[in-house]
Amino acid sequence: MTTEELERDLRAMAEPRESDESMRYATRARLSEQMVERPGRLRSFRIATGVAAAAAAAAALLGVALLGGPGGSGGPSTADAAIVHQALRALTGPANMIVHVKEDGVQNGRPIALEWWQETSPPYALRMIKGWGGQSHEGAADGTTRFQYDAHTNTILKTTGAKSPQPLVDPMAGVRRQLAKGDAQVAGTTTIDGRTLYKIELSTGVIAYFDTTTYRPMYLDNPQGDGSVVRTRVVAYEELPMTSETEHLVSITAQHPDARIQTRTAPSK
Amino acid sequence: MEVRALLVAPAVRGRQIDRDAGLVAAAREEPRMFLGLYDRYFDRVLGYVRLRIREEATCEDVTSAVFTTALAQLGRFRGDGPFAGWLFQIARNAVRDVQRKPKPERLPLTFEAAESRPGPEEQLLARERADRLRAVVSRLEPEQQHLLALRYGADLAFDEIGEIVGASAGTVRVRLHRILHELRRRYPHDD
Repeated sequence: MTTEELERDLRAMAEPRESDESMRYATRARLSEQMVERPGRLRSFRIATGVAAAAAAAAALLGVALLGGPGGSGGPSTADAAIVHQALRALTGPANMIVHVKEDGVQNGRPIALEWWQETSPPYALRMIKGWGGQSHEGAADGTTRFQYDAHTNTILKTTGAKSPQPLVDPMAGVRRQLAKGDAQVAGTTTIDGRTLYKIELSTGVIAYFDTTTYRPMYLDNPQGDGSVVRTRVVAYEELPMTSETEHLVSITAQHPDARIQTRTAPSK
Repeated sequence: MEVRALLVAPAVRGRQIDRDAGLVAAAREEPRMFLGLYDRYFDRVLGYVRLRIREEATCEDVTSAVFTTALAQLGRFRGDGPFAGWLFQIARNAVRDVQRKPKPERLPLTFEAAESRPGPEEQLLARERADRLRAVVSRLEPEQQHLLALRYGADLAFDEIGEIVGASAGTVRVRLHRILHELRRRYPHDD
């Protein structure tokens, strides 16, 4: 073995993992919580999980945000950063879960809807249902195979030979990416449908609105090519544990067990 | 055998300006600014810990504990050495504490399942190789482990490590070269 190979193996031991981002935000939230506690007090720490962690983290970061009001030393930017981080955390699920997103809205006078389920770990299997003007389209992918469902003929068109596993591309992926890159600016709070929400402007032009307590995404303003803006309401954003039952949510064949299946091979490029 | 020189705040040769001094001062005035230090060092500390501890759940817990300890103890950091040296000393102590326990407490974490899920064959082989290498590393002197983890876990440059351990970059390079030589001698490389 050469020194280079040994160094490679040593570095591989410390390679980042999928769960690092979740851990980063969980620890960040814990530190924020610690900051608003009495100084010098250190409690034993273990990473909280699930809803309790989210609630604790949200409360902690909200506390930080409140402390960072105008006039404090470096307050507003730090408070805004805390909001952005917490919003990102709310959109960053642990591995081995299924993200479920449901949005609806109106575009050009017609109702639109989108529902999406996707695994947060490879192969990032997904299923989505898109509705527009009374029509709907249902598709799925599992990393190597794509599926389309034709409700009229109760047929699943299965296309094998997809090149590589897809990443997490749920409808919040763009928002998540912009928040993670820091390409986001907190534009205060606003009230929509009677709820006070954080308004976060992304560099892509999208404006995302988050609940001020839970940081759950609530609305998205999506700029269109014609200059109009389509507002969608986030009806659901949740992370479901991966079980034999929830795994069916990302499987189009499980959803339509009686459907006829047609198989074809993806044309090679 | 533990090397005493590394247990205390190291003297810094040719004393350089601590790149973290501004953030440390700000964090002393306003604890929220500590998050800047956290962002700067999270990956490095996690990498450091990963090189020295096998169990992922414990790695995550130790890393978190390093930062919560650093935040709680920041007032005691005197600044007579670099912040990074102080932080990695906390990490070193935390690792040592875990390794001293006969049966380290295993803390339940959400994320471990993903890491332990069987993957493709090459991943399993890489894991086995890493386990063997970690076993060899764990038999090195604590100071040697510390240096290896700073270099290959925290991904620090020789001069950065030198600032932390109070030695020149050249000295660090030579020490690491010897450690790698020792490691190559002990590390089974039948693959």
